[in-house]
Amino acid sequence: MMNLSRKSALNERWKHMLLEVLTQTANYAVILLLSLLVGALVIFASGKDPIASYQAIWQGAFGNPIKFADTLDRSTVLMLSGLAAALAFRTNVINLGLEGQLYAGAFASALVGFSVQGLPKHIHIPLCLLAGIVAGGLWGLPVIILKLRWGITELVTTLMLNYIAIRFSQYLIAFPFKDPLAPMPGTPVLEATARLPKLMKGSVLNIGFIIALVMAFVIYWFLFRSKIGYEMRMVGYNKDFSAAVGIPVNRSAVLAMLVSGALVGLGGAVVIMGFFGRFLGSFSSGYGWDGMMIALLAQNHPLGVIPASLFYAALANGALAMQSATGVPQTVVVMVKGATMLFVTVKVFATFFKRRFGKWLASTSDA
Amino acid sequence: MAGFDFGRIITLSLFAATLRMTTPVLFATLGGIFSSEVGIFNVGLEGMLDIATFFAVVGSVQTGSPWGGLMYAIVACLITGFIFALIHLELKANAIIVGLALNIFATGLTRYLMVEMLGATGFYQSDLLIGFKLVEIPLIKDIPVLGELLSGHFPLVYLAFAFVAVVYVILYKTPFGFHLRSVGEKIEAAESVGINPQKMKYIGLMMSGLFCSFGGAFLSLSYLNMFSENMTAGRGWLALAAINFGRSKPVRSLVACLIFGFADALALRLQQFGLPSQIVLMLPYVSTLVVLVFSAISDERKKKSLAAKQRNTKTMEAVAVE
Repeated sequence: MMNLSRKSALNERWKHMLLEVLTQTANYAVILLLSLLVGALVIFASGKDPIASYQAIWQGAFGNPIKFADTLDRSTVLMLSGLAAALAFRTNVINLGLEGQLYAGAFASALVGFSVQGLPKHIHIPLCLLAGIVAGGLWGLPVIILKLRWGITELVTTLMLNYIAIRFSQYLIAFPFKDPLAPMPGTPVLEATARLPKLMKGSVLNIGFIIALVMAFVIYWFLFRSKIGYEMRMVGYNKDFSAAVGIPVNRSAVLAMLVSGALVGLGGAVVIMGFFGRFLGSFSSGYGWDGMMIALLAQNHPLGVIPASLFYAALANGALAMQSATGVPQTVVVMVKGATMLFVTVKVFATFFKRRFGKWLASTSDA
Repeated sequence: MAGFDFGRIITLSLFAATLRMTTPVLFATLGGIFSSEVGIFNVGLEGMLDIATFFAVVGSVQTGSPWGGLMYAIVACLITGFIFALIHLELKANAIIVGLALNIFATGLTRYLMVEMLGATGFYQSDLLIGFKLVEIPLIKDIPVLGELLSGHFPLVYLAFAFVAVVYVILYKTPFGFHLRSVGEKIEAAESVGINPQKMKYIGLMMSGLFCSFGGAFLSLSYLNMFSENMTAGRGWLALAAINFGRSKPVRSLVACLIFGFADALALRLQQFGLPSQIVLMLPYVSTLVVLVFSAISDERKKKSLAAKQRNTKTMEAVAVE
């Protein structure tokens, strides 16, 4: 008797998981299809061939091993930024300041990278990464103070700090840390000991990608397997309930903000040390904003961030190839990105599939 | 930087510039007030402004008149507001996410259409682009100080400030405004007296679009007759800060807009005096934070003095009872 109920409970659990997997797979298939359709419509409306355009994107992103590796590299900073957003959103901290924190982290790592000299690689690299992490985290500090002391919403403060970070870094590279030899406004080039080792010949792929992957699993473990992470998710679900059962709500929110900033700051460090080699005024093509979209696309799941950031990286790298091959402006992919984000938030598909698959599963177990 | 003469920086024309720098933020703020009154924090103001800025340029080029540009912007933004409402209300997507998606979609759309419709990348400038003309106010222009300050602005500047009064009257003096606000205040109560909250939310979001279209048209068809990427420069976000500061009250929000406008105007002025532009251009954003802190502090004080008053009356009552 007991054995039986145990077995059926196990069965139920499997069924539940199967239902979840089926639902999400179908859900994402629809989201992807619809978003690509939006892009195709725009391309078609401007009198170009959508299929050829998408083929060009595929070729540009995955056409050969080098391009594939470059796409992986492109996903690195997006992944870290996406993780940062996912962690904050899970705790219901609407951190719209990722872009500013990214700049803070990127500049700090560059500063340590070009001004500290004579260190061996295995000390210089971690030092630069650490500078990025700390600066990114600290840039969120004013947000925390303004929120906890005066109750000012982080929606506004994080945004203002974005503009301040970008403008301030532009000042820093225009005056105190200007490199007269730089082609664009930027700092001097990083010391060779601060550059991230490459993983593949001919590609820009570097060890930063591994760091980002590891961080995805670390954040997954942190959120879903640790007590503090559990508390953070609880605060995200229901703040009042969490407070009532004694979860430190403020501590969770502060931690979410700091870790979120640290993650995207690390992203800034990695993209400077791995790709650009110096801090440039316009190094970010909106990585922070992309991170938010990636987190939403992954429904704030740290492991979901990995494929989501790859998808965005492929779009970004493929877009240029598409523009040169078919003449379709590469900004089309921005619309595809916006569309994915919108379709993910639309809960109608998921509910529909869940009901459908649920019925189907129930009917198979009856038989 | 030597000989920093404040007399040359703080001049009448600085205050006149304040009025015109306030204008786009003010339009967006008034628009945002409508959606926040129906209970939606409209994060998409920036995107709406962006769309308006672009379509105003297209309209002006195609019709040969800035007013035609404004019409294009209005239509585009009403559609945007409607789609926002559709996705949020019918497809049940989170309003903040829809707003963020709208911002991103707007940058993509305008940059794409800039290539397709205007054949330009990065920015567009042309003789075909007809901007608004300056308007002198007949009597006021002859008054010495007031004339320089208030007269000789673009028509949309006057309109923006007039709209503050209009919005105030609509929201607080008409049954429609009362219904609108009741939806944001207490949705169950609104429903119980037969107000359709769904309809009110549609109207609120489309009103956001309507006002943003004026703001966008001002940005691209006054002073700088052009469209460029990032032309809105975060004014939609500043508007959100103004709404936050003004607690959705039109007049109180106007004060915040004027402060941002002044910071913007001062930034431009200081730039001409050789201060590093990057630092000076931080001014509006830093001042936003400062303004929010000050307003929070004054709220705190008010609350404290209110509590103290209540305590006083209580002790007096106690004394009276004795």
